[in-house]
Amino acid sequence: MDRRETLRTIAAVAVLPALWQFAPRELMALADRAPRVLDARQSATINAAAQRIIPATSTPGAGDVHVEQFVDLMLADWYTPAERERLLAGLPALDRFLEATAERQTAMLVALDGEAAGKPDHWFSMLKYLTIWGYYTSQAAQTGELGLWPLPGHYDGCASYSA
Amino acid sequence: MAVRRTQPEFDAIVVGSGITGGWAAKELTELGLRTLVLEAGRPVDPVRDAVEHVPPWEMPFRGLGDRVATQKRQPVQQRSVSFDELSRRFWTDDVDNPYTTPADRPFNWFRARQVGGKSIIWGRQVYRWSDLDFEANLRDGVAVDWPIRYADLAPWYDHVEAFIGVSGQSEGLAQLPDGKFQPPMAMNCVEAHVRDRMGQRFGRERVLTVGRVANLTMPLNGRAPCHYCGPCQRGCITRSYFSSINATLPVAQHTGRLTLRPHSVVHSLVYDRGRVTGVRIFDSETRAEHEYRARVVFLCASALESARILLHSTSATFPDGLANASGQVGRNVMDHIKGAGASGEIAGWTDRHVVGNRPNGIYVPRFRNVGTTRSDFIRGYGFQGGADRQDWRWRLAAPGIGVDLKRHLTALGPWTMSFGGYGECLPREANRCTLDRGTVDAWGVPVLHIDTSWSPNELALHKDMSAAAVEILEAVGATHIQPHSHPSVMGSANHEMGTARMGRDARTSVLDAHNRAHDVPNLYLTDGACMTSSGWQNPSLTYMALTARACHHAADAMRRRDI
Repeated sequence: MDRRETLRTIAAVAVLPALWQFAPRELMALADRAPRVLDARQSATINAAAQRIIPATSTPGAGDVHVEQFVDLMLADWYTPAERERLLAGLPALDRFLEATAERQTAMLVALDGEAAGKPDHWFSMLKYLTIWGYYTSQAAQTGELGLWPLPGHYDGCASYSA
Repeated sequence: MAVRRTQPEFDAIVVGSGITGGWAAKELTELGLRTLVLEAGRPVDPVRDAVEHVPPWEMPFRGLGDRVATQKRQPVQQRSVSFDELSRRFWTDDVDNPYTTPADRPFNWFRARQVGGKSIIWGRQVYRWSDLDFEANLRDGVAVDWPIRYADLAPWYDHVEAFIGVSGQSEGLAQLPDGKFQPPMAMNCVEAHVRDRMGQRFGRERVLTVGRVANLTMPLNGRAPCHYCGPCQRGCITRSYFSSINATLPVAQHTGRLTLRPHSVVHSLVYDRGRVTGVRIFDSETRAEHEYRARVVFLCASALESARILLHSTSATFPDGLANASGQVGRNVMDHIKGAGASGEIAGWTDRHVVGNRPNGIYVPRFRNVGTTRSDFIRGYGFQGGADRQDWRWRLAAPGIGVDLKRHLTALGPWTMSFGGYGECLPREANRCTLDRGTVDAWGVPVLHIDTSWSPNELALHKDMSAAAVEILEAVGATHIQPHSHPSVMGSANHEMGTARMGRDARTSVLDAHNRAHDVPNLYLTDGACMTSSGWQNPSLTYMALTARACHHAADAMRRRDI
């Protein structure tokens, strides 16, 4: 072999941990990230609306897990400019949401939900989708009501279940 | 640029470190050969790169993927069912590695460039072939006959299964020979119910068994049993599923005879006076060109990539590509046709659910043209599938807000049983890849132009898949049965094969009965390119068995000084 060249021989498998463990937490959680698209009032409005869409019960609500931060990330880094503008253009419909009574807030959202029914491109459909996705992928939902984490470490295809 | 030549310091060079390259590395080094493995991609460090336990809340896009980066760099790769926000790192970059197709005949070419190749992201379903498959071309008068039969390969299936670890259930079916299995993974209660009802209705004609999968259920050679975390395509820190980095390459490394060189993009094979003398590469990091020499070369770069390398390796003797006197290199592209089946609800078991993520489903081995003969198509298909309860992801557009919506989303829905077919594809010379000299990759090498389409036989099989799946679901008492039937884009099964087929005659095939090139006695090719027909089974087990067998043939030939 030509000695001027160093062949990069690699050990294909490094020393393994004795048992499985969680991979390094190389990926940042969303918490504490400064909003990039939404202003403070928009963030607060989405937080409050999300909490009415998925309210706290025996488990937290979507506002409690701050889905508005997930909404902001999706608007900044995932949606196309046209999609982002569609959602932002709809938000003024909730301009007075924060000052409204609980009953009035619910009525506003029920009306919007009816208006958006069957229209996946409607801005409220987008907001509701992000609320549901953001909530059910949150640590609270995944470890709480869905019971998926920590990983069970085994398979039971006929475990008992009650809704 | 000056090419640095090296003395033939290696006994063997293996191009590729995926499922067959890893096997070639293991067998050749264990047989005493100093072996260089050339891998186009980067090294993989399992401790850093195995990300299967990252929960969704730690993913920036919560599992929805980095849409902008993906559309920009991996618009083809993202179409694979195993491509996700985290497994994305194991798929190739479409901008650096383009290919072309006719505008009206798309092809999905899923590729992986890293140490381990696609063995990191494969589906791990492993099924033996039988003589129903090896004799099919001869029986049907299609293409050319396989130069081997099941008896030739059976001991090598044994050899491979014992090493990789296959969990599965013996069924005693002639069309799907049993193997050396670890205990099978469990079916869930609804799958077991469907199996029993199918048995009442179809007897042994249509059998439902749990998937035979290269995931361990017992410890094996320092690898731990599967712990059912689920997303194998993101890696496996416990080495519970078989891949090159989890199993074959460490064994090869341990012999002290392996040299693994990542970042080595093959330019061409060098041919001189009747033999392949070496492999010319670009270092993808420095862009320097190197040439390595050895007594024997194993091409294991994946079916289409190996064909591309041969087509690009021209000489005065082989102006149309190395080992291509037959003109068959690049022809007979096959893939399994999928995209048809059915699903239906199974009443009951509402007080039961699944705990853990089984990286496996159920399998219904081929039942068409087994014993009986159909008039509308030859060959057949198998069904993969399973039963599960629908969760919140199925109800993202649910109406309403508030406590009722939350309760609705959190609760599990009814059990759904689904079947999806994988159908055999006939070898046809018109389905071919050629060099597109007008388009080059990031290293200046001409890319492939892939021109394929399904034949009427595949489409007839495909039509039958939905009808047969509905028939099964009706027989087991399912309701709300929904058939589906959208022929897959060729390539989508990631079972591309056939581009340098084995055969008995050098005039009509590229490789002999031991995967050696008819035209070049020290060149072996053992990836999916060698396949003379496609079968209906997932093909990787057969690739591995053929590779191990070819390695022993080459070592014997070298000992006899035939090479």
